[in-house]
Formats: sequence, C-alpha cells, structure tokens
Amino acid sequence: MPSSISPPLLVLLAVGACQGAFAGPLPSVASINLCADQLVLTVAAPEQVLTVSWLAADPEESLLAAQAAKYPLNYGSAEELLRFHPDVVIAGAYTNAFTRALLVRLGYEVVALEPEDSVADIARNLRRVAQAIGRRERGEALVAELDAHARRIAARRLERAPATVVVRPGGFTVGEHSLADELMKLAGVRNVAAEQGLDRWGSLSMETLLASRPELVVLTGYRASQPSLANAVLAHPALRLLRESQQTAIVPGPYWDCGLPQSLDSAERLQQAARR
Amino acid sequence: MTQDAAGAHDSSAQWRLSALLGLLAIAAAGASLVIGRTSGGPMFGFGGPDLAAIVLTEIRLPRTLLALLVGGTLGLCGAALQGLLRNPLAEPGLLGASSGAAFGAVIVFYFGLAGADSLMLPAGGVAGSLGALAVLYALARRRGDFLTIVLAGIAINAFAAALTSLALNFAPSPYAALEILFWMLGSLADRSLAHVALALPLMVPGWLLVIAAARGLDALTLGEETAASLGLNPRRTQWLVIGGTALAVGAAVAVTGVVGFVGLVVPHLLRGHVGHHPSRLLLPSFLAGAVLVAIADIAIRLMPPGPELKLGVVTALLGAPFFFHLIVRARPEGA
Repeated sequence: MPSSISPPLLVLLAVGACQGAFAGPLPSVASINLCADQLVLTVAAPEQVLTVSWLAADPEESLLAAQAAKYPLNYGSAEELLRFHPDVVIAGAYTNAFTRALLVRLGYEVVALEPEDSVADIARNLRRVAQAIGRRERGEALVAELDAHARRIAARRLERAPATVVVRPGGFTVGEHSLADELMKLAGVRNVAAEQGLDRWGSLSMETLLASRPELVVLTGYRASQPSLANAVLAHPALRLLRESQQTAIVPGPYWDCGLPQSLDSAERLQQAARR
Repeated sequence: MTQDAAGAHDSSAQWRLSALLGLLAIAAAGASLVIGRTSGGPMFGFGGPDLAAIVLTEIRLPRTLLALLVGGTLGLCGAALQGLLRNPLAEPGLLGASSGAAFGAVIVFYFGLAGADSLMLPAGGVAGSLGALAVLYALARRRGDFLTIVLAGIAINAFAAALTSLALNFAPSPYAALEILFWMLGSLADRSLAHVALALPLMVPGWLLVIAAARGLDALTLGEETAASLGLNPRRTQWLVIGGTALAVGAAVAVTGVVGFVGLVVPHLLRGHVGHHPSRLLLPSFLAGAVLVAIADIAIRLMPPGPELKLGVVTALLGAPFFFHLIVRARPEGA
C-alpha cells in the first residue's frame, strides 16, 4: 500500500504536514492605542510588530517605552497605517473611531479592545490580541502567569485592611468596577471611595478625603514635573499634612491607565506600603 | 450714504469676487489632494504608485470634499443669519444647531454605539441638530420675532452644552471623555466617502432653503414693516433661513464636530466687497468658507510631526487675525 504512493505525492504530503505545524509567517501587526500598544508588545513576536503609537514610547505614559522606541511610531491616522500595510490593526474601542471605520472600509482587519476594568479583562484582551496575531500559545502562557501572579498576591493579602484613598491628578479617584479597585481588593486594602458607592471613577473633594480618615493614601502621579492644575491638587496643604501622618504609596499612572500583566505589581506596592 | 456705497457695488462685483474665490477653492482643493501627513510630518505626493489610488480616493478626497462642503455651509449660513438677524454677531452656532448636533454625537459616544458603526456618530449629530431646531420652533413659533429666536437659540445652546457636560460626567471611560472633548473641537481626520454621502443629502436641501430666502433677506434690510408692504412675508424668510441652517449645519457638525469662527468671520471679510445686500453675500461667503476650512485643514497637515491639531483650533487661529484687522480698520468709521 505505501509503495503505491509516488515520490512527488510524498513530497506534497510532507509539505502539507509542515504547513500544518508552522502555518506560514505570523501576521504583521500595527497598533494605534496606548493600551493596545503595550498588549501587542507583550504578546507579539518582535518581528511581527510594524508600528506602535507615539505614546507607547513615552516613559511617562507607557511601561514598555524602551521596547516601543525600537519600532516606527504612528499618530494613529489611516494614511500612515496604509504605508505599513499591516495584516492586523489593534485599536482601542473608544479611540480613533473614524480611523477604525476607514481601515475596515479599506479591508483591514481591525481589532478594537474594550478597556480593562478587571484582571479578567486583562486576560480577555491578552487572549484577543494573541488570537488576532496568531500567538495563541503565548497568550495562554501570559494568562496563566497573570492568574498565578494574582494568586500569589491574594496569598499575601493584608490581615487587617487599612482604609485607603486613591488620589489621582485633578482630584480624581477610583471606585467600584475599576481595575484599580479590584487590585486594591486583591492586595487587601479597603477602597473608601468604592465603599461610599462611587462607580468606576469620579472626583474626590479634599474634604471628603479627609473625612474618610484614610490610613493609606495612594498617589498616582502623572507628569509631575510639568505644571498643571491637575497636579496642583496633589500639592494641596491638607494632603501634605495627611501624607506626613499616614502611610503613602505611590503608583505611577501607567500601572492603572491600561490593564497589563504589570498592573498587578501595583497591588504588591500597596501591600508593601501598608506593612511598612 | 450707505445706500450710495452699496449702489457703487453693482451685482457684477459679486460674480467677480465669486469667480476669484472659486479659483481659490479649486487651488486649495488641489493642494489638499496632494498634501498628506505621515509619522514624519507633512508629505507631498502619494508615497508610491501602489498607494496613490487608495490614498487619493479613500483618504484625501473625502477629506477635501468635506472641508469644502462644511466650510461652504458655515460661510453661507453665517451670511444668511447675519442678514436675517441684522446682527453682525450672528453665526450658525447661535441657533443651537451646532450644540444640538454635538450633544447628539456625544450621546452616541456615551452609549458606546460609535464603535459599532462610524455612521452612528454623524446620525446622532443630525438627530441632535433636528431636535434643537424642533425645540427652537416650539419656543419661538407663537411670538416668532427675531429677539425671541435669538434668546431661544442661546437657551438651547446653554442647555445642550449642559447636557453634553452631564454626559461627559457619566462617560464610561476617561478615554471616552477625552475623545468627546477632542471631537467637539472639530476634525476632518480619516473621514470616508460614506460621511460625504451622509452629510450631502442634508446639506443640499439646507443650502436651497437658505438661498430661497435671498430676496426676502434683501427686503428685510429695509425693516420688517417695509418688507411686508413689498408683499414679502418676513416669517417665511425667517423660517427658510433657520430651517436651512439647522439642516445644513447640523449635518456638517455631525460629520466634523464643531468648527468655530468660520460662519462668524467669513461674511465680515466679504461684506466690504459686495455691498450691503445680504443676497449678494451668500455665494461669496459659501466659497470663502470653503477656502478657509480647506486651508485650515491643509495647515494641519503641514504641522511638524505629532498628533493632528483639531480643525476648530486652526480655523480660529486663521480667522481671528482677520477679525482683529477688520475691527482696527473699522474703528474710525464707527467713532
């Protein structure tokens, strides 16, 4: 029976088997949103990435700035992206609406990622990116690592949960159903704003902040060296007094602005600050 | 005196000026088609023969067409409204059509519908604009005088702006809020021919309504009573202009966001050249508005590398110095 197969057919079968194992080159990918950029840089093979957005290379914005700076940067316009001719474009669901529509119209595969409001959302977006760019195994490995990391943090959960407020530039804070809130729960601190019923995110007056008698104050800076009204809030005298008497943790903005595997490091920072 | 000055401008001045502006508009459109923008900044040409067709027809053509159509709409409606209200501060934003359209678009954004289909955003804008017009009509129908309309317009503007801010406060993601804010400053980036196809069928009837009011606008310069004694119905003129503006400007804002200053400044730039007949100002204002927005959009692409500036910022930057110049020049006359 095997002898009846002619040599050319054998060659064909062999080629077919090889293609099954390595399904051609990986699709090339362009990314046009800061959070999408960082997920792409995390999941993709280096040679797959054609371009990422300019914010990804800014260390004030991005945790992977050095890695991003190796690639050509884009400002998220369709005309720029045409020149890269990517197989897949990864974008954010709330940004570049017109650009995404135009790229779809021009026949590109566009993946729009919903924001990551929980650790589960980070896993979902890791899988979505991995699926779209042919790196499913890498995606699953990252998700497994993410889950393990979350379990390690939960195992070291604080015994006594300190009342905690997060102060972001502009007097913003985080409430329930946000990534930061879930990470705070994971670390074992009480998010006072969430307990007061704040949903997702909102502003926090200095008076509410003081009245909540926080034991731990979490500051997330953003371009601290550049003057803005938003940063002036962080220099409020009342907040300074509070920082002198209570524990303070500093979580740089990029850890919470986008949901990344590294975002979980912020929960460890909170635990360290509370144990100090 | 003004009558004499106006008489000195025969109607041929209008056509000479229009021809000149028409040529400028064609030149601006040509430039807009060959100037692009890449990560490295402005780029002339199409960046390779393989890309030329798609860049030209799918990216730069819609952008150029919309610049001309939106600029023309704002110029035309600004001129008609200034004539109708006999008030040099009148502009399309005054009736609440722009803020209504912006609110409609923001609501679409807020519910996250914009991602599903990029036409949802402009469709929301058109609905918002028509809603604002319906409220204006309900408020001003009984009295119907200009003062009531202007006051109602200001009230609608304030209310729509407040609702927009409210929606921003409830935006599901801080990034959505940021995107909304940018959107309200106007932009032509990455619009497609589908947007032209959405806006044009609303703009053209809007223009026609405004143009149909031309003779009535001239009569109104003599005062409402005189116009009525000439057999013209001032109410009809009024609703033609307002309806046309709401339709055309609503469609424009819905596709590009709020582009300020064009409707205000363009009629003032031209009034000295065509005399004081509002009807003679309409065509030149349409063309000059188109030129101004097309040039503003070209200027955006000529900026050094970085994220694109918003259109509303550049039209104000280009328009305001002209306005300063007019004010300085007009001062001795006024004093």
